[in-house]
Amino acid sequence: MNLLKRYIIPRLIQYFIVIFIGVTVVFLVPRFTPLDPVVTVLNRMTSYGAQYLDPSAIEKLKETMMELYGLKGSIWEQYLNFWKRLFKGDFGPSLSIFPTPVISIIANSLPWTAGLLVVVAILSWIIGNILGGIAGYYADRRWSKVMSIVAMSIYPIPYYIMALVLLILFAYIFPIFPMVGGYSIGLTPSFSLEFIFNVIKHAFLPALSLILIGIGWWFLSMRSLTSTIVAEDFVTYAEVMGIPSRKILFQYVMRNGLLPQITNLALQIGGIFSGSLITETVFSYPGLGQLLYMAINNGDFNLIMGIAVLSIIGIATSALLIDLLYPLFDPRVRYR
Amino acid sequence: MKKLSIILLFVLMLSLVGQTVTFSQVLPKVPRNETLIVDALHGRLANPKDFNFWKPGVSVGNGAQQMLFDGLWYLDPQTRKVINALAESEPVYENNFKKMTVKLRKGIYWSDGKPFTADDVVFTVDYLMKHPGMSYSDAFNRYVSKVYKKDNYTVVFELKESIPAFHYLFTSIVYSTCYIMPKHVFEKVEDPLKFEFNPPVSLGPYVLKQYDPQGYWWLFERRADWRRTSVGQLYGMPQPKHVLFIYYGPDEKKVMAQAQHQLDLIFDLTPESWEILRKSNPYSRIWYKDFPWAWMDDVRARIMAMNLEKPPFNNKDVRWALTLAVDIVDVVTSGFDGIARVNPLWICATESLLKEYYLPLESWLKDYALEDGFKPWDPTVPDRVVDYAKKRGYTVTGNPREIFGIGWWKYAPDEAEKLLVKNGFKKVGGKWYLPDGTPWKITITAPANFEIHATRLAFAVADQWRKFGIDVNVETVEAGPFWNKWNLGDFEVGSYWQVPATDFYTFVQGYHSRFYKPTGEVATAGNQIRWKNAKLDKLLDDLVNLQPESPKAKAIVTDILKLYVEEMPAPVFIINLKFNSQDHYYWTNFPTSDNSYMAPVWWWGQFKFILPQIKPTGRK
Repeated sequence: MNLLKRYIIPRLIQYFIVIFIGVTVVFLVPRFTPLDPVVTVLNRMTSYGAQYLDPSAIEKLKETMMELYGLKGSIWEQYLNFWKRLFKGDFGPSLSIFPTPVISIIANSLPWTAGLLVVVAILSWIIGNILGGIAGYYADRRWSKVMSIVAMSIYPIPYYIMALVLLILFAYIFPIFPMVGGYSIGLTPSFSLEFIFNVIKHAFLPALSLILIGIGWWFLSMRSLTSTIVAEDFVTYAEVMGIPSRKILFQYVMRNGLLPQITNLALQIGGIFSGSLITETVFSYPGLGQLLYMAINNGDFNLIMGIAVLSIIGIATSALLIDLLYPLFDPRVRYR
Repeated sequence: MKKLSIILLFVLMLSLVGQTVTFSQVLPKVPRNETLIVDALHGRLANPKDFNFWKPGVSVGNGAQQMLFDGLWYLDPQTRKVINALAESEPVYENNFKKMTVKLRKGIYWSDGKPFTADDVVFTVDYLMKHPGMSYSDAFNRYVSKVYKKDNYTVVFELKESIPAFHYLFTSIVYSTCYIMPKHVFEKVEDPLKFEFNPPVSLGPYVLKQYDPQGYWWLFERRADWRRTSVGQLYGMPQPKHVLFIYYGPDEKKVMAQAQHQLDLIFDLTPESWEILRKSNPYSRIWYKDFPWAWMDDVRARIMAMNLEKPPFNNKDVRWALTLAVDIVDVVTSGFDGIARVNPLWICATESLLKEYYLPLESWLKDYALEDGFKPWDPTVPDRVVDYAKKRGYTVTGNPREIFGIGWWKYAPDEAEKLLVKNGFKKVGGKWYLPDGTPWKITITAPANFEIHATRLAFAVADQWRKFGIDVNVETVEAGPFWNKWNLGDFEVGSYWQVPATDFYTFVQGYHSRFYKPTGEVATAGNQIRWKNAKLDKLLDDLVNLQPESPKAKAIVTDILKLYVEEMPAPVFIINLKFNSQDHYYWTNFPTSDNSYMAPVWWWGQFKFILPQIKPTGRK
């Protein structure tokens, strides 16, 4: 009961406040930018069509679209309507591809983003932390230094360059992997082995590019954490006690080093809802990043809000979960 | 040994994964030599399954309008020829342009076997009028009092007022038009704004075979009854059995794809990307075989748009001074490596319009003088660009005036200085000061990460004006805010591309002062530069009462072009370039400079008429 009152309830209140403030800011920000979704659609129509619409007919069309898009009332009215819709799980229609519901657009792309980024985040976290922990513990060994040099060389490479190099190598010079899409033309999505294998093949290069960069970061941060921990008294004491070094590494050193890494991983997974724009662009891989970019460029307020709200909820929920689960990883929290 | 085994295993895995995709990755299930692969204009679409063209905001340039839809007329900007597609002939106007009769082509069928008749045309207009919010709804409600069929292949429009260009609503002049709806499908639809028209019933020569739910590609298949389409009747069988529209991503990937012969037609590349492609694929070509390669007959041209409400740009002398402070050959060579056609008038210098408007105006341009007697015309520009090209080691085949334009305005900084000094500007220590004594600073708004030629022009012109002594800054802006700034007039000078071509008649109507919107209000009708001129109003009042094709209308267009030169509201620099590369490996006979049978616009509705004219090379 005490735990609930002193630890869980304050965090839940904090969670809802963060979401409320985040969502309100996301609602307001696009409306204070010089973006006008109706004008953007009209621009697209006239610049692509130059249809013979009398200027007065264009003016009338603008009025009609303001009405349809629900942009006619005051900001306060729009804000209230937005919350009413949000409680029903409805983000409204997309304004740039009116009237397709935002939720169905997001639902179409989310599995691709989630599928790629969650796997990438977990894989690079596991590999990077294990290698970083070992390299930090055995910092004086030659192979540890080589690994550090490799990580330090890979991590600063601009992601776009890394992705493009992989693409040129494995899709152009050695055309092993495809250059575009989530699966091959002619295939129908199903749970068949052929389709699953095809999806993995399409995701391989985007995933590899992200994992390489991701491993670099986790490796360097874990190595740095570990090298600090190994100098602490309890490690020296354990060594003096004659505890095997493998046990010291995995149960004493890495376990301590993992605490901040777990928080970072949770925040990273929570943040996947905004997609990975450069990966999606370079590999023409479906996902939420490009959607968000399109939405911002077209002043599609509803789509921006849909993706941003998901992202806010994702990050806030991850932070909450970590807060709630932290006592399991760190006994010191339990004793406070 | 263990490590080596792991590496070998990895390599083996890679090769196994690759086996099924190598050299056939794009089309594993469709024969490549029967398929034309086209770059998708809009990139990835968030809702790729929506084919309801008549809803505002639905993008149809990724294949739908080229393959599936059809309209009454098309105007080809390259040849200036009208194609009577679903209409059998040109429209007939009566009763002082208050009645228009259209004869329809017989023997046309929808892809589901239903005949195309006057009922479909009447339904399209009636239906859109009854559904506010749909494209064309407001326009039809504004103009049409009654539409009915006289017989199965004759439609009569009775109009509320005299509208000599009413048929333009059904003519694809630039990119698109009001395509005809299938009555038998839409009459069952209650709310067309929620209807996705999927699967689409086609009036064009192809049907939709498959699409990517993620919005990267659309595959179309030739109709077995292609003879029962306007394309089939006019030009014969479209050659590719399949047409795939696909978005590969950034230019680098399009170049790789075409170099691998996996992308036949590209929408547009940067000059640098084209340079790489040209060297890596001998089958790639654009318009000219040699320098300057690019297609330069697009229907827009680049301007330095000045907001005429903002001083000092409200002063004609200042605008002329800024024009004469530019060395256009320097701009073209430093900014575009000489790949440009200069475009001095307020109409695009396309192949057809050069003959129609530029050449007849040439003697007037030579004699034209500013108020102080200075004659600004410079006909030497094309020859100077050719000299530059030769120095760079390029071959130029053809008439320089046809390729690079007939001339532009002189580089005359002395005359520019005179005009400014006359208006109270001062030059001190090589820097210009405004009449109120403050330093003259100009900000040029330019696109960031799109329309690269507009950005380049902005930087090239900024250099010229800096050299002249003005403090110039270029701000690059993303697409959304870029267009909003344009419409609200939130710019001093902007690198935009609002110059009409074959659509002059419709384009200029929005410049009438009755549609004028001050800075801060959205200029939906055009005229974002806020140009207000009584003489222009008078010309537009006369023009709107004439049929666009009439000689009298052309005379008025000429007068508007002259007025534009006199007022110089926004100097026009070069016609839009397109590096819309074609790969001649699997298919050939695309439109080119030596075979310019049609504009090479894969993204327009007209593209369907090119398909019967291309030829397979026979390569497997």
